Parts: sequence; C-alpha cells; structure tokens
Amino acid sequence: MSAVVTGVGMAVEGLADPDDLLHPLTGDDSGFDPKVALTGRGMRHKDRASRLALVAAADALTDAGLLTDGTYAGCGDRTAVVVSTNFGNLDSVCSFADTIAGEGVVGLSPLGLPHTSSNSVAGWVAIEHHLRGPNLTVCNGASSGLDALFWAQLMIEAGRADATVVVGVEPGTGAVARLLDGARSLDGAAAVVVESVPHRRARGAAPRAVIADFRRGTPTSATARPVGLRMDPDGGVDLAGRFGECSGALGVLQCVAGVGYLDAGGAGDVLATAGRDPATSMLLTLPGRAS
Amino acid sequence: MTGRVLVTGVGAVSCLGSGRAALWHGLLAGGGQPRDVIDPHAHMESALMYLTPEVPAAPVALAHVPLSAGPRFAVAAAREAVDDAGLAGPARAGLPVVLGVEMGNARMHEDRRTGTHRTASSDPDRWTPMTVTAAAVAAALGSRETHTSVGNACAASAYALTVAADMIRAGEADVVLTGGAEGATRVGMGAFNRLGAADPVRCRPFDRGRRGTVFGDGAAMLVLESADHARARGAHAYAEVAGAAWSCDARHPTAPDPSATHVIRAMREALDAAGLGPADVGAVVPHGTGTALNDVVESHAMRAVFGAHCDRLPLINLKAMIGHTAGVAGAFGCATAALALRAGVVPASPRIDEPDPECAVLVPQDGTRPIERPAVMVNSYAFGGNNACVVLTGGAVDR
Repeated sequence: MSAVVTGVGMAVEGLADPDDLLHPLTGDDSGFDPKVALTGRGMRHKDRASRLALVAAADALTDAGLLTDGTYAGCGDRTAVVVSTNFGNLDSVCSFADTIAGEGVVGLSPLGLPHTSSNSVAGWVAIEHHLRGPNLTVCNGASSGLDALFWAQLMIEAGRADATVVVGVEPGTGAVARLLDGARSLDGAAAVVVESVPHRRARGAAPRAVIADFRRGTPTSATARPVGLRMDPDGGVDLAGRFGECSGALGVLQCVAGVGYLDAGGAGDVLATAGRDPATSMLLTLPGRAS
Repeated sequence: MTGRVLVTGVGAVSCLGSGRAALWHGLLAGGGQPRDVIDPHAHMESALMYLTPEVPAAPVALAHVPLSAGPRFAVAAAREAVDDAGLAGPARAGLPVVLGVEMGNARMHEDRRTGTHRTASSDPDRWTPMTVTAAAVAAALGSRETHTSVGNACAASAYALTVAADMIRAGEADVVLTGGAEGATRVGMGAFNRLGAADPVRCRPFDRGRRGTVFGDGAAMLVLESADHARARGAHAYAEVAGAAWSCDARHPTAPDPSATHVIRAMREALDAAGLGPADVGAVVPHGTGTALNDVVESHAMRAVFGAHCDRLPLINLKAMIGHTAGVAGAFGCATAALALRAGVVPASPRIDEPDPECAVLVPQDGTRPIERPAVMVNSYAFGGNNACVVLTGGAVDR
C-alpha cells in the first residue's frame, strides 16, 4: 500500500482528541467549543460547514506535523483537498431559494454567493493553507466519507498528489434540522491526512494507520489479525447513535476514531461500515514495514 | 497505475436535441440559441438559457424521490452511451457510475419551496443530496456497482471523468460510465445575475462585448474502457483519454487567479501525462464561459502553454453553441472532443462581433477546419479555484 494516514483532526463540540470518540467524556472543558472556535476574523463570510471544516483540517495538518505557526509546511502544489459533505451548503441554497422567491434576485447577498456552489468548503480549505493540488468534493450519501478516503488514497496512488487532507463535515443548521424533521444530527467535522509513503519517510513523520481495504460489502480482513474495533450501524461502536445522523462526515469520523484506537494500542484491526444495501466498508490496520 | 483508457460510448442531450448525432450536427450547423426561462417572480435581468427542446417524460421518480429535469437527462444520455458502447445486461450490472453534478435534483427542491411542485410523493418533504442523479442512472441501467457524485461545481464532470479514468488505470474497473447532467436552476441563474455575470444577449466567449455567461441544460455521458477490455470484445473507440490533470488556485472562492499560474500548470501536467507536447495539440475546447475575466485569463494561459502555435490552434467555442452547462461542461467538452476527433474536423464558432484583443486565441468562424494534430485539449474550471484539463487523442493514433 503506497498511502498512509499521518494525521487526524476534529471539530466536534466537547471533544478534544480522537479517543474521545470512543469513550464517555470526562467532564473537563478542554474540548472543542464552537461558540469560541468558529468566530474571529478568519471565519468571516463563511458558512458553518466551511468554518467547521477549517478547524478540523488545521487540527489534522497540525497533528501530521504539516502546519508550523499556522503556515503549511508541505508543498502546496502537491497537496490535495477532498471534502465529503451531503448537507454542506443546504442552508445557503435554501436561503437563496427563499430570497429569490420573496424579493427576487436583487435581494441576494453577494457575500453569500460562493456558498451556493457545491464545492465551496473544499475551496476555503485550499485557500486557507494554499493547497493547490487536486481539489475534490464528494456528495455520495451514506458512504460519502469512506468514499472520500478511498479517493484520497487513489489520488496518491495515481501520482496526482503527495499528501491529501480529507474532510468530512455536516453543519447543524436550521435547514438540516428541518430536513431531518428535528432528528439529532452531527454539527461537526473530522479530518484525516493521507500521505504517500515516500513523502512521509522524507519528512520523518510517523505512520499512524493504513487503509488496507475498501469495498462495497464487508471486506475480508487483509491481515491475519482479528478485527478489534468494529464501527457499524448494526453492531459495535455506532457513532451515529451517539452524535446523531453523521451523513457525509461519518466515514471520516470513523477513520479518526480508528486512528485514535490504534494510537492507544488497541488490539486488532479497525472495520468501519457505512450505509446499507450495499454497505461500504473500510479496514484500517497498523502500519507495517512497507508503510 | 498504467494502462490506456478509451472512450467507447457517447450519449448527449442538449439544446441541440436528443442524442450525440443531434449534438454534433447542431455544432456543425452553428449551435443553438438561448431563450427565456419563464420565471417572472425572480426579477432576473437576464433569464436566458440554452434549453433542451423537451424534458424526457421518464423516469418520474427514484423510489420515493420525484426526479426533475437533471436526473432525467442523465438517464437518457446514459442509456445512449451504454447502447453506443454495446454494453448489455451483465456488463451493465457491473458498471460503476461516476458523475459530476453541481445542482442535482435542484429544480424539484426549488419548485417545492415555492409551492409549485405537484408531483405526488409518499414523502414529499424529503430532500436528497446530489447523488440522486448518479443513483437514478445506476438504477435505470441495473448497475449494482459503486455510484459516485463528484460535486466540483462547474468543473465537476471533468473531475469525474478523471476519477473514472484513474479507476480503470488502478485496476478498480474495466469499464466506467462517466459524465454529468443539469437542469435549469433558479439559484444558479439568480447567483450569476446578482454577480452581474449573466449575458442578456447570448453566450459570447472571447467577444469584446461579452457580459457574462449564459447557462444551458442537458447531459453528456461517456463510456470509458480499458484498451485491453475494448480490444478483447472488439469495441470501437472514439478517442483515448491520454492524460488529465487537476489543480487549485487556492486564491479566491469565485474569481480565477489573474496570473493563471495553476491553470497553466494543469494544462502542462495533462500534456505530460499524455506524453505529448504543445505542438501535438490540434484543437482546444476551452472553458470559455463569456465572463470578462475567465476568457482573458484562459487566453493568457493558452498563450503561455502553446506559444506561437496559438495562432494556428483552433478553439471549439462550445459554450457559444450550447451555453455553459455548469457541472456537465467538462463532459460536454470531452464528448465534443471525442466526436471531433472521430470526424477529424473542428466546428466553426458562431459569429463574434468584435474579437477581444485581450484574448489572443484563434476562434474560427469561417466554416469547419480539419484537425491537423492528433490531440484535443479540454479545459474545465470552477468556483473554488478548481481547474481540470483533459487531453484526448484520436482512436487511430498508435501510441
């Protein structure tokens, strides 16, 4: 496998590190606070999905050792962004549709215009860190987050980038709440840095996990080791059960949790599953010598 | 990743009519004309669009989700492309679908929000993400393989086509259906009106008098196939996807980088991936939207990449003929390039009243021209600073 996970990040209220995804919170107040973290100059004129994504992406890049004093330390031209989101700009599109219906086109605010574009989150992440490699937005329903991780790996194998920051984000906006009929849903983002093995080695970064298998339908374990952490809507750890509908963020959140599990010395491999009929699944393993 | 990727099927629905033949003959005849979208309450300065003659009557729904024009165009064009490639039952079941979609089922949602939606539905309030277009195509073809929606705004289907080609090169699939589809959308047109980027006359790329873009609706689909698989079953190829590259300006959420640095990089990397030099390119399908800045920046980029060859390098002025088809634009560009390579000619552009002296490129208006070099380049750009470039070569080229 020529790609490896080297960093993870999150922007989920109350959570401080990946391990928090798998355990009850201890009650300290060191976790992410959206009321503080999503404000300030850099957040102006951005929709909620973009703000959450920017926090998670910076967290993951820092974790990977690719952000020093807020500046991206890698080669921007060879770094890709992949964003998975299903409800990302739903609030902007709904508000534009309502404004046109009520006041006509003249009522639209030009500052909100970029967010009617389906790829605005990925655009903002690229702008923030000057990431000028491939910039991909995936809106694939339940499997979207796992798909995004798979595309990131494929992009590295195809030689299109040396490093990729993958973001899964769903904003807890009024439009989403109306859509889900008030059902609980995630208001947050998760991010993962996937990197080519030679690039990781050249900069001496630690390998954290390897995406050993991805497929529709349950994967057969690529290693002889048993599955130690199962994240599945029908069994094991159910992140959607804890955080509500995670939609396009789910797969990336699962990957962050999996890396937290492996980091903490958890036994066996990590199997993440999203969606049904067919389910999409991904197997994460500890990096071997080739990684 | 190795291996050659061929285009073995093409389907299209555009303002020029239904089918790839209608597209090609319509382009040779000078393209279509925009007409007004009837939407009195939106108060748009320009409500012009290059509209398809009619929206297909089916499919009306996918499971509980009513389908508007975009997904219906997608199904029609997908059926044509798959038939064209000669893929039957079992081959369709195993066919991955990778589409580029910007607005998805947008019109259905917009109509519902304004109370004009009349389709009976068991679950009328259910919104669906953009993936419904790919899901509708997969369902119509009986595909049980992966279906993916790339949401890269106006460069979506060029990105999707590259993803599809990479899947084949990576050995993930032998054959992939790729492309895109869009219907008319109030939000998209409204946004461009508000930006002052909607031309009230027609879409006039590279014309000094241009005042913005004019959208078009429809769908374009291509069957991509590994050369080995195509050879084994005796499939005919229109063209080869010889190289493709992506870049991002990472500069502004909507405007292109005036320096064109990363547009130029994408073009050069796509040529490198194809193993070709600038002098091997016989025509370019530019992004060419008719917005003031895009056409100048892109012309500058083409001069930087092609140098003096630009003076003899004809552009296929596609958006002047079918409008800016948003998420489908890249797929329409690649489908047009494939058809042009097969025919060996470049269709002439509609009339340009006054060529923009800041756009030092060749936009032929005096009849079709032969393609004198083996490759056609397709550019596709989007909000978010997303740039994609695809290089296709003629099927007869021995590489």
